[in-house]
Amino acid sequence: MSLLRGLVVQSEVVHAIFMRETRTRFGQYRMGYLWAIADPAIVILTIAGFFALVKRAAPYGMDIYSFIATGIIPYKLFASSAQQVGESVNGNRALLFYPRVLPIDLALARGLFELATYGAVFVVLMGLHGLATQRLVVDEPLYVIAGLTLASLLGTATGLVFCAIGVMSRTADRARGPLLRPLFWISGIFFTVEALPVHVRPLAGLNPIIHCAELVRSGWFVSYEDTYVDTSYLLLWILGLSVVGLLLERRVRRKIEVA
Amino acid sequence: MIRLENITKVYKTKRGRHTVLDDVSFEVPLGTSMGIMGRNGAGKSTLLRIIGGAEMPTSGTVTRGSRVSFPIGFSGAFHGSLTGEENCRFAARIYGQEIHRVVRETRDFADIGEYFYNPVGTYSTGMRARLAFGLSMSIDFDVYLVDEVTAVGDRRFKKKCSAALKKRAEFGSLIVISHSVATLRQLCDKCAVLDQGKLTVYDTVDAANEVYAA
Repeated sequence: MSLLRGLVVQSEVVHAIFMRETRTRFGQYRMGYLWAIADPAIVILTIAGFFALVKRAAPYGMDIYSFIATGIIPYKLFASSAQQVGESVNGNRALLFYPRVLPIDLALARGLFELATYGAVFVVLMGLHGLATQRLVVDEPLYVIAGLTLASLLGTATGLVFCAIGVMSRTADRARGPLLRPLFWISGIFFTVEALPVHVRPLAGLNPIIHCAELVRSGWFVSYEDTYVDTSYLLLWILGLSVVGLLLERRVRRKIEVA
Repeated sequence: MIRLENITKVYKTKRGRHTVLDDVSFEVPLGTSMGIMGRNGAGKSTLLRIIGGAEMPTSGTVTRGSRVSFPIGFSGAFHGSLTGEENCRFAARIYGQEIHRVVRETRDFADIGEYFYNPVGTYSTGMRARLAFGLSMSIDFDVYLVDEVTAVGDRRFKKKCSAALKKRAEFGSLIVISHSVATLRQLCDKCAVLDQGKLTVYDTVDAANEVYAA
């Protein structure tokens, strides 16, 4: 099979899994799509409400709602991609029954699905806020798009590693949750890097996810700049995790049992 | 054309390594069909999955010169909460086929009435097999991998299946697993016996059956 023909087949397969995923994830319940929106919306409103209650203000030039939303959506996009891609083979193993479907297709389709979902969630939540406040200014739209895309890539690459580990050992698979959960607190949902003490900033910057949040915020708010974003550092993480994930996939490929 | 060269498949179990297929080689040119006999658990279905490419052999190579079907059997990879129609749409997309045609032809062949639009989880085993069989017939394959599917269904459906398979065997190939000598005689030219990981090919179904029954 030529490379071009192979790519056509792969895109057909990924498209098919993507479409099927929309049915199995959201199609089961009434207003299933609403849950995708409601989940982050509840978190944003809770935290924003808490901030208002303790009279803590968002950083200069940001409103609390947008501040939290621009932090939580890149984080959720990352975490959800890592989680969903990580379970893609164990959760959709039956599809490997079709010889055309490869493990990597299951992973890619889920990664794209998360990106599409959270991309839409971002547009809807920020759009609603814009409508409510009668004000919608985006400083650098391309930065926002780049931040979300990189969060998706980082999550998908992490998911590839989890996925291969999950096939090798169910025990190691259980470590995934505890590994991911602390990231919620250190990924810039509640703070910007600029608001941190000077000596803590480089430390916080070691966490690749924070660069995604910083990118989105610097693109969204006129008053915030991308001073603390290191794109090459972020890309290095994505590249490294992808290489490790794909190498592990080659190792476990023959171990995946269909029936 | 299908060619297997030195295929070995080893599973690791808690009680050590278990060799399911031991250095299996054979070739099935287009236009000819082969049956496979063997006891339960002999590794027939594993062999079929390896031929199709859903599972990888531990060593050896498979050469496929044509479009090979997924194994057509009882289960299929149907998602229980999706309807028969939705499952067909998925398969049509994977194989780059025209969705409406595949849905229409599968519905007509499977002939399961309104159930076609209900979740597959509500189907009986026989209905699932009917759907799987109808689906595989409505996608254009050259080589059909058939796993004991003709054993289900009422007499009328069995007849319909045999007729459809025979038609496909004229220009393409069938690789058929069955315990029924009559079915194999009807569909296949050659026949192989799989026993303790070793595969032996015989020129006629009767020759294979003599060894197998002995």
